Amino acid sequence: MSELRDLVQTALGAAVEGEQVEAYAEEERRTEVSALRGEVEGMTFAESRGVGVRVIRDERLGYAWAADPTEDEVRAAVAAARENAALAEPDDANVLPDARSVEPMPELYRAESASIAADDKVRLALDLERYCVSRDPRVTKVDLAQVGDEVSRVAIGSTTGVDQAYERTDAWVVAVTLAVEGDDTQTGFSFTIARGLDQLAWEPIADEAVDRAVQMLGAAKPETAKVPVILDPFAASNFLGVLAGALNADNVLKGRSLFADMVGQEVGASAFTLIDDGRRADGPGACPFDGEGVPSARTELFTGGVLNGFLHSTYTAHRAGGGQRSTGNAKRGGYKGAPGVGTSNFFVEAGDRSFDALRADAAGGVLIMDVSGVHSGANPISGEFSVGATGRRIGVDGTLGEPLREMTIASTLPEMLRGVRAVGSDLRFFSSVGTPSILIGEMTLAGV
Amino acid sequence: MLDRDLVSEVLLAARRRGGDVAEVFVEERSSTAIRLDDGRVEELTTGLDRGAGVRVFQGTTYGYAYANRLDRDSLLEAAAAASAALAGDAPGAVVDLTERTGPGTNHAERAASDVDAATKVGWLRTVDEAARAVSSEVAQVTGIYFDSMQRRLIATSDGRWVREDRPRIRLVAQVVAKRGDVIQTGWQGPAACAGVEFLDVHPPEETGRRGAERAVAMLDSIPAPAGQMAVVVANGCGGVLFHEAVGHPLEADAVDKEASVYRGLIGERCSSELVNGVDDATIPNGWGSYDFDDEGTPAERTVLFTDGVLEGFLQDRMRAARMGVSTTGNARRESYAHPPIVRMTNTNILPGATDPDAIVRDTGRGIYVTGLGGGQVNPASGDFVFGVSEGYLIEHGEVTTPVRGANLIGRAIDVMSSVDAVGSDFETWEGVCGKDGQGAPVGSGSPTLRIAKITVGGTGV
Repeated sequence: MSELRDLVQTALGAAVEGEQVEAYAEEERRTEVSALRGEVEGMTFAESRGVGVRVIRDERLGYAWAADPTEDEVRAAVAAARENAALAEPDDANVLPDARSVEPMPELYRAESASIAADDKVRLALDLERYCVSRDPRVTKVDLAQVGDEVSRVAIGSTTGVDQAYERTDAWVVAVTLAVEGDDTQTGFSFTIARGLDQLAWEPIADEAVDRAVQMLGAAKPETAKVPVILDPFAASNFLGVLAGALNADNVLKGRSLFADMVGQEVGASAFTLIDDGRRADGPGACPFDGEGVPSARTELFTGGVLNGFLHSTYTAHRAGGGQRSTGNAKRGGYKGAPGVGTSNFFVEAGDRSFDALRADAAGGVLIMDVSGVHSGANPISGEFSVGATGRRIGVDGTLGEPLREMTIASTLPEMLRGVRAVGSDLRFFSSVGTPSILIGEMTLAGV
Repeated sequence: MLDRDLVSEVLLAARRRGGDVAEVFVEERSSTAIRLDDGRVEELTTGLDRGAGVRVFQGTTYGYAYANRLDRDSLLEAAAAASAALAGDAPGAVVDLTERTGPGTNHAERAASDVDAATKVGWLRTVDEAARAVSSEVAQVTGIYFDSMQRRLIATSDGRWVREDRPRIRLVAQVVAKRGDVIQTGWQGPAACAGVEFLDVHPPEETGRRGAERAVAMLDSIPAPAGQMAVVVANGCGGVLFHEAVGHPLEADAVDKEASVYRGLIGERCSSELVNGVDDATIPNGWGSYDFDDEGTPAERTVLFTDGVLEGFLQDRMRAARMGVSTTGNARRESYAHPPIVRMTNTNILPGATDPDAIVRDTGRGIYVTGLGGGQVNPASGDFVFGVSEGYLIEHGEVTTPVRGANLIGRAIDVMSSVDAVGSDFETWEGVCGKDGQGAPVGSGSPTLRIAKITVGGTGV
């Protein structure tokens, strides 16, 4: 950590009069092990470190970064950011945040998770694969059985007084199984993430990956119809990225969000509450402060279907005016880019209905278990989407029936949010987005 | 970047537990990215990245470790970490490293690094102005300029020593058009492995104008019909479809895991006899082109389909050795931070003999697709989906009303078998393909072609 802080101090020491300088330093150590056919398939060790520098001068912003820099290279990055700033337009919203006190989140780092031996990771990956192919005679192969973990550290400092650092440990398990029957092959995916490999319950994940593949065997293409739909957490989580884009204040300010003029309106049904909460320690996106050192917070974006507001960084808050403050949502993809607006733990609040109860209310409808093509088939600006889907029929008695494939669902985001009839109690996080099962009154489902 | 003695020492360390091959990949990449939003330079970023990855593999088991430090200690540490994936105890040797040179597929006439940033900002201003000139309904223009120079060194324990520099350039227009409550978007983003001379062929005016035209055209759109119908895919767009639906299942890692719908079908007709397809990394200055792949294998033009008959798969060294064939030079990696995996390069359906206008004229009812937003495939089942970013109805052989919210969904073999017309025209499209968490720049190309029957997802039931 002290080395990262030294890099930050070197950058701040290169600041000259009349400018604000911010340095963000990051290092991470990651291991991934996958198993195939009873052997190690691949083992990857990653170690990286870098610094990104923001310079604001005369309201102009410039950015430069360097991988594992020497002190001279850090100073060169400050100079490059300064040169880049000279070519940018002045914008009075270009300001760095002032220092604010941050409540630390020591629970994000587990020393015992950071010191797990490589051999233990190998053993876990082999166990995971062996377990996956031993549960069902139709599942004898995996597409992916992988465990991974990461230790990362971040330090941020600025000439406006920001001086923050934190460290975290993360670990995950991914299983993709292949179920084969005749000439039909189906895949089943599952995933979980926790603070350390020793905290991961991987057997249920493997069981789920097996179950999701086997369920899809013999899937048929349905007739085109309008029916009630349940999106399970796997399927529903795909839409959260589109919602996140439309709730990003940067997009709102630039006329790229369908929600721009809808604050205070009942956009969705009353069952729909959507939250971003970086302080929620059990979520994978938890962090004490954001990509520019502003404390993380809990922001209710939709409450009972009513749109409250948007996710803000310091820049978008200034640009929006009207006393808007950063919601602690300045996010970076790493040291290679200036912070933009992003989510932390972004999730649909759980309801009180069990999955069984939801199914009973969707009689004659369809359970959607996976959607594909969301990145290309959904438009965060117009809100329209059309995506591929797989799932199962729901019988008139609420039981799950025939598996379905090669169908599409199409709607618009507002229509879908208005159509939310009930939300399940089965909230689950997939990386930093989370959602329970969601029952939607009616959607167009295209097949034959 | 590194001298041969040090690289040999690292390769030897990586083979301390044997393995078939050890490999060192060293990279240095400088890049410039500029974003112009609403006529203002919002972000101008320059970066310098460098690092090295060490891999050793035996059969299809590999160990990979990387560091972004290039000193001897860091490299030897990476070699030791990578070798830990293997169980053997007999160290392997390293043969003399022999330099190989390539044809210079991606030669840059005028390097982007020789052009000042103010000129690059000027290109973005031209994009902005050209887009706004299309219509007063253009509400928002974002222009993105990107260039990079990647210097690579690949060395292997079986004697490969390859150095190759790869320039990239891309100019993108993202346009939002607005009429009342209706908002639509348009996108245009030509790209190449070339220098700034690329912009002589794809001038900024054209990029801005085309992006705006797409957005404005879609303002008149009606919800796309849903159900099965004929789809005519305009030249350029079919390559993306081929990439997703057919290309991914033909990657040998999917085949090896028995997760490909094309497994066991070499020599079989599994596409319409009108379909001839290739993956070609040798196209000069192509977005997916190179002299050598990221394992140091010379680039190839690999025939995938001849008259609808499957000819072969895309290979890397590990998979080719396991299948007893030669690698096709399709091992690629996003950067030194990633092990190489089997990837496409420039994947094209070759032109046929039919007049493209006649293909539309001969279609009674259907959709004419002129923009595809990308797609996704499950290689194991062959199920794929594509978003249609720009499409029109075809009624009585004429292209009529624009449609929005459409996607195409189908199974690879069914859909490729129902191609019943292939045009004589050809166009390319450049994108970034995601697989196993790695992004790779890929080209795709096609003539105009018609799929006799495919499911269109839309809201207009």
